[in-house]
Amino acid sequence: MEIAELQDKIFAFVEAAKGKKKLKEKDIIKGVSAEQSMQPDEVKKAMRAMIDVGRLMYSYGGGASSVEIPSEEYLREKGLIK
Amino acid sequence: MKKYTTPLIDELEKGPWPSFVTEMKKAGKHNEMANDAVGHLEKCYRTKMGYWKHGGIVGVLGYGGGVIGRYSEIGDEFPGVAHFHTVRLNQPSGFFYTSKALKEICDIWDKYGSGLTNVHGSTGDLVLLGTKTDALETIFAEYSSRGWDLGSSGSALRTPSCCVGQGRCEWAMYDTMGLTYALTQEFQDEIHRPTFSYKFKIKSSGCACDCVASIARADMSIIGTWKGDIQIDQAEVKNYSSKMDIKAEIIDMCPTQCMSYDGKELKINNAECNRCMHCISKMTKALKPGKERGATICIGSKAPIVVGSLLSWVIIPFIKIEEPYTELKDLIRKIWDWWDENAKPRERIGEVIEMKGMRSFLEAIGVPPMPQQIREPRKDPFMFYTEDDIASYKAKEAEEKKTGKYKF
Repeated sequence: MEIAELQDKIFAFVEAAKGKKKLKEKDIIKGVSAEQSMQPDEVKKAMRAMIDVGRLMYSYGGGASSVEIPSEEYLREKGLIK
Repeated sequence: MKKYTTPLIDELEKGPWPSFVTEMKKAGKHNEMANDAVGHLEKCYRTKMGYWKHGGIVGVLGYGGGVIGRYSEIGDEFPGVAHFHTVRLNQPSGFFYTSKALKEICDIWDKYGSGLTNVHGSTGDLVLLGTKTDALETIFAEYSSRGWDLGSSGSALRTPSCCVGQGRCEWAMYDTMGLTYALTQEFQDEIHRPTFSYKFKIKSSGCACDCVASIARADMSIIGTWKGDIQIDQAEVKNYSSKMDIKAEIIDMCPTQCMSYDGKELKINNAECNRCMHCISKMTKALKPGKERGATICIGSKAPIVVGSLLSWVIIPFIKIEEPYTELKDLIRKIWDWWDENAKPRERIGEVIEMKGMRSFLEAIGVPPMPQQIREPRKDPFMFYTEDDIASYKAKEAEEKKTGKYKF
């Protein structure tokens, strides 16, 4: 699978959990690797590349961290959109 | 700049000790954020409310930690603290700085933040208190261009920390600073990209004096120890006998009662010694740790969130701590794998061991059970003072004030 396609699958996975469950990095890696029959390391690498460019982001609440889809406000603040 | 009347927090400036209120007011003279923080604090005391919210989505791009978002619910009234985020900087091992480096840190912080700092926070990082969201990327760029990196926060490996170790201390049984630096470099990913169920802290102490209190507040405590007999210089013991009451201060205070002194010779039953360091730290010239040195690894201490506070539990009674620390790094990875498989969100490793059992944990990390794997080798994390202690401290303080000479 091409990395861009895998990243779309990861994005869809995170989007499906939005408002229902705070996903940890490991939840995404385990979930997507099982769903797509891929190695966890490949999923991890693709997911982190998404975080590095702001397609996904780390969030924090109640003492625990999670990975989420960034808001427009966040993207604007980071200069990723106008 | 708005001037606040602060009768309640002014009380905290009284007495002989340094006051954080005085320092905040000093910073507030030239910094709007610090000035509003003073007014905000007074209001918190007056109304007995906190007004702070924390968490959320603040941070620098690509990092999942190092910035803790803080907002005030009453930002309209105190606009300087509407955003008041904390930035953590990864401290150098052993907390050694040049004054030039400290000045550089403070200059940047004066420019983009409140100027207020907490050196150091309980995790060990340099804690910079109070900045706005739109300044974060600039702050990060300024610090990283000078060789600094953010520390950790959230569900990650927290910034490893250690005592001054062999940099200053003759009792350091291994190079705590070298190890901490190596672990920080090895686990950059785990520090900056939160991937665990909750926080994980590693603290390294060179000996059982445990100057970073690792046994009470680190998920993994690496505490220097030795094998073999304590080295005794009987001539120096004789010298000490003229300056101190060896029976009262050493023999009777030995927790395992493994020492004896007949007025001529000090004897130690080393098989019974639990390496607490009391005698060595009291008779520094007469006693030295044994020659084969390494560390004891303990697991699972934490402060009282979720379930009550826990103290560390010995899992490796003795391990050599030598570069490139491969055995230790492999052990840490195995510990994380087991924790990750078994923990629910916000469960520290000590809690998971409590629930799943030490047997299951040891099997998973490949460590055989040993009689030395003592649970809570040190019982209480707190110091308690009796009324007599307080009276004697007050008398000492009064004498120091009167004479101007301080007794340490």
